[in-house]
Amino acid sequence: MVTVEVENLTRTFGKFTAVDQVSFSVQKGEIFGFLGANGAGKTTTIRMLCGLLMPSSGTASVAGFDVYTQPENIKKNIGYMSQRFSLYEDLTVRENIRFYGGVYGLSRPQISSKTDELLEFLKLQDQADALTASIPMGWKQRLALSTAMLHDPPIIFLDEPTSGVDPVSRKNFWLLIYRLAEQGKTIFVTTHFMDEAEYCNRVSIMRDGAIIELEKPQTLKTKYNVNTMQDVFMQVVEKKSL
Amino acid sequence: MNRILFSITKKEFWHIIRDYQTLIIIILMPILMLLLFGYAVTLEMRQIETILVDQSHTPQSRAFLDDITSTTFFKITDRDVPEKEFEHILQQRKARCIIVIPADFARSLETQPETNIQVLVDASDPNAANYIRNYLIQISARFNFKLNPQLKMPFSVEPRILYNPDLKSYFFFVPGLVAVIILLITSLLTSIAIVREKEVGTMEQILVSPVHPLQIVIGKMIPYTVIGLIDSILILIMGRFLFGVPVLGSPWLLLLSLIIYVLSGLSFGLLVSTITESQQVAMLTAMMITLLPTLMLSGFIFPLKSMPLIFQYLSNVVPATHFLTIIRGILLKGSSLMDILPEMGALTGITILLLAISIRKFNMTLE
Amino acid sequence: MQRILYLIQKEFRQILREKTFIGLIFGAPFIQIVILGFAITTDVNHVPLAIVDYDQSQMSTRLSDAFSVTESFEFEGNLNSEQEAVQALDHGRIKMAIIIPDNFERDLKMGIHPVIQAVVDGVDGNSAGVAMAYLNQISIKLQKEWMQETGGLSARMRQVHLTAIEPRMQYNASLESVNNIVPGILATMIMLITAFLTGMSIVREREIGTLEQLMVTPIRNYELILGKVLPLIVVAFLLLNVGILAAGLIFGLWMKGNIFTLYFMSLLFALSTLGLGIFASTVARTQQQAMFIAYFFMIFAILLSGFFIPIENMPPFIQGITYLNPLRYFIVVIREIYLKGTEMGLLWKEGLAMGVFGLATFILSSLRFQKRLE
Repeated sequence: MVTVEVENLTRTFGKFTAVDQVSFSVQKGEIFGFLGANGAGKTTTIRMLCGLLMPSSGTASVAGFDVYTQPENIKKNIGYMSQRFSLYEDLTVRENIRFYGGVYGLSRPQISSKTDELLEFLKLQDQADALTASIPMGWKQRLALSTAMLHDPPIIFLDEPTSGVDPVSRKNFWLLIYRLAEQGKTIFVTTHFMDEAEYCNRVSIMRDGAIIELEKPQTLKTKYNVNTMQDVFMQVVEKKSL
Repeated sequence: MNRILFSITKKEFWHIIRDYQTLIIIILMPILMLLLFGYAVTLEMRQIETILVDQSHTPQSRAFLDDITSTTFFKITDRDVPEKEFEHILQQRKARCIIVIPADFARSLETQPETNIQVLVDASDPNAANYIRNYLIQISARFNFKLNPQLKMPFSVEPRILYNPDLKSYFFFVPGLVAVIILLITSLLTSIAIVREKEVGTMEQILVSPVHPLQIVIGKMIPYTVIGLIDSILILIMGRFLFGVPVLGSPWLLLLSLIIYVLSGLSFGLLVSTITESQQVAMLTAMMITLLPTLMLSGFIFPLKSMPLIFQYLSNVVPATHFLTIIRGILLKGSSLMDILPEMGALTGITILLLAISIRKFNMTLE
Repeated sequence: MQRILYLIQKEFRQILREKTFIGLIFGAPFIQIVILGFAITTDVNHVPLAIVDYDQSQMSTRLSDAFSVTESFEFEGNLNSEQEAVQALDHGRIKMAIIIPDNFERDLKMGIHPVIQAVVDGVDGNSAGVAMAYLNQISIKLQKEWMQETGGLSARMRQVHLTAIEPRMQYNASLESVNNIVPGILATMIMLITAFLTGMSIVREREIGTLEQLMVTPIRNYELILGKVLPLIVVAFLLLNVGILAAGLIFGLWMKGNIFTLYFMSLLFALSTLGLGIFASTVARTQQQAMFIAYFFMIFAILLSGFFIPIENMPPFIQGITYLNPLRYFIVVIREIYLKGTEMGLLWKEGLAMGVFGLATFILSSLRFQKRLE
């Protein structure tokens, strides 16, 4: 079942074309990786899919809703976590969870049970009433992801979720992503860590606003006759820039 | 000084220039403020809504009323309304004042040494009420003079007005604006710029770098200082050519005092940044401890001598108080260094003290 | 609706967590009212004055005495020459010097009409004008006394018939500045909190990145704005009451009118300043900018409100601009309620103007505040 459908999606800023006629579709339960150098257009694409930016042309639907006309419906069906942590540092962990729960329209008992569930899941019970500013980066990031999913969305957009996090935390984070995918969630993730790309079901590689490759990691490695995604990436980017 | 400081300063300059919106605001604001103060703040009230009540209906009363209507001060909105409505009229703000010529005006004027004309003034705006009273006293004095040509007082007072013969308000405001704008930019903007680094988290980055934090702070301040100076010079130039506000004294002396004053503003900014953690709080604190006293307790608008003594003493702590005396002296009176020595001394003293405190405090917060 | 409640709760948590902030919010009105109420008088008095008496006669001494006893002037002593007087003016030690010429008494007695010179520091044009008016008043009073004393003149005096203005200052009989300053401060305080803090708190969320997160949630535009604005209205409301109490306790100045009228009008006023704050947040990218824009508008708003300078003092073009200034209406309203006890019925025009203005800015800036990024 297709949950994200994109056709010829384009976004320009003045004369600059950030995203150039991108097309792809993502299946339910898939971990879809979005690779590319900085400025390749990954964040812009994600923002359009989340309803944060209006596309210049092309079509796109998320969870069956059109990005032009039904952004509010989309927002009920997605979780979004950006590269900047979007937690309130001057609120406590518990207050952050409760706040986002409320914002997503959960009922009071739902929020209470979700809060307990999350705190236990993240093993943050002891720090529940500490200011978010004071907890370690890796935890903040998992907390951010969890709060972005309080409303149990079928699709999750992660925009470079692991930048600035240590390797152990990154591994834990990806374990979390796998568990979510097992539950049938669609994960849409951008990254510039190539080892993370290996974990994805399919990856697309963007350059200058266009998608250059879109395949399973294994297929790509075979195609370029290399052992790692790192090498695939280097080859793709270099080949095109010649 | 050194290369590091130079490169930091350059970086900060780029920050500001890239952030052209802020740049436009800080260049445009002083200009607009100058125009506003120059053109809007006049010392004459015109077209005051007035009701005339002539209970006398005699040539004399009409002569007096003609003297009122022939000026541009008053705009007559109604005449001869019944006395019982006076209260109601003022309450409803149909007029600012009601001038009542009494029924026995003509007779009294012939027989009595003094004849009263009653004026009801809506004094809920005391400034306006003052203007109204003063204008009417002027008009009555002129009327008296016409009425009694033989009247000549034993002596007369001849005013000679120095420095600002036409009593233009912008002669007063232009130097004051320089003081306010410099302070605004040096203390408010710098403190916010530093606290911002704290809030965004880049301050930590700075603390671990081999550069001494103070260098970075100074590098941050230099561009704002330059902008502050440019703004002041802009105001002075516009003041000169648009409003004819002269610079009679030495420009170098002016520059020297500007620099000392800028330093005091920067120390304030640094101090505020050390005691606050968020931009909002920094802004409010800076407003409370710098801007408000500068606007209110420096003699920028309100004459210090009219204030209670305690505030007059307090005003001595405000750098702008001394700076205002200095800059008004240099611009309008052509003061030399000797003329303004006490103020220069006080300003320098305060600046050194502030600088010492804020640097100490800054170093302490780093540890 | 529930979402708004959560937003409001969050805002309050953030406000309450910042201790300095609370101190500032509630300390500020007290300090402002105390300092400004006591310090600021638009009256001019204690003008420093020196006298150069070349005559050294009985008459000239009497003249000096007359000037040294009044509140209007502060007699700084006698100087020896005009040159010294100009020097003292240069230094700024005095603002006015009176120079009594040689043979003053003799000329006076012979009816030659001597001329006294008043050298005035004109830098502060307003104060200078007022000081000269004081000077005239005192000298005229003195001359009348003389004329009555010297018998030769009294015959002529009997033929003199003067008009005199007898002003009756309604609602503020003694023209005390405090009565003007305090309501004015209350008004600017509401403006400060609403315009500044709204703008800054929205831009702050944008800077930190939480605004982006909120934008992908199903929160609606108006919910987001209301969630921001309502807590600030509550803060402004508390602050207004702190201010009212401070004014009453410290200066004994309680409003004559109905407090609910004031509340209602304040709400209308706050609507427009909140709109302004939201507008600032849509234009500004950093808190610094937001603050500057708001600050900028505030200065204009205060200057063109009639608070310190009557609107009638301004040239027609600028008077036209003042109609777009919500503070212009609110200053009138708060003065009326405080000093005259005016009822709502007589303030409907101002209320309507503020309401329309407030609604317009509020709606326009809310529309501008899109839940999308640009």
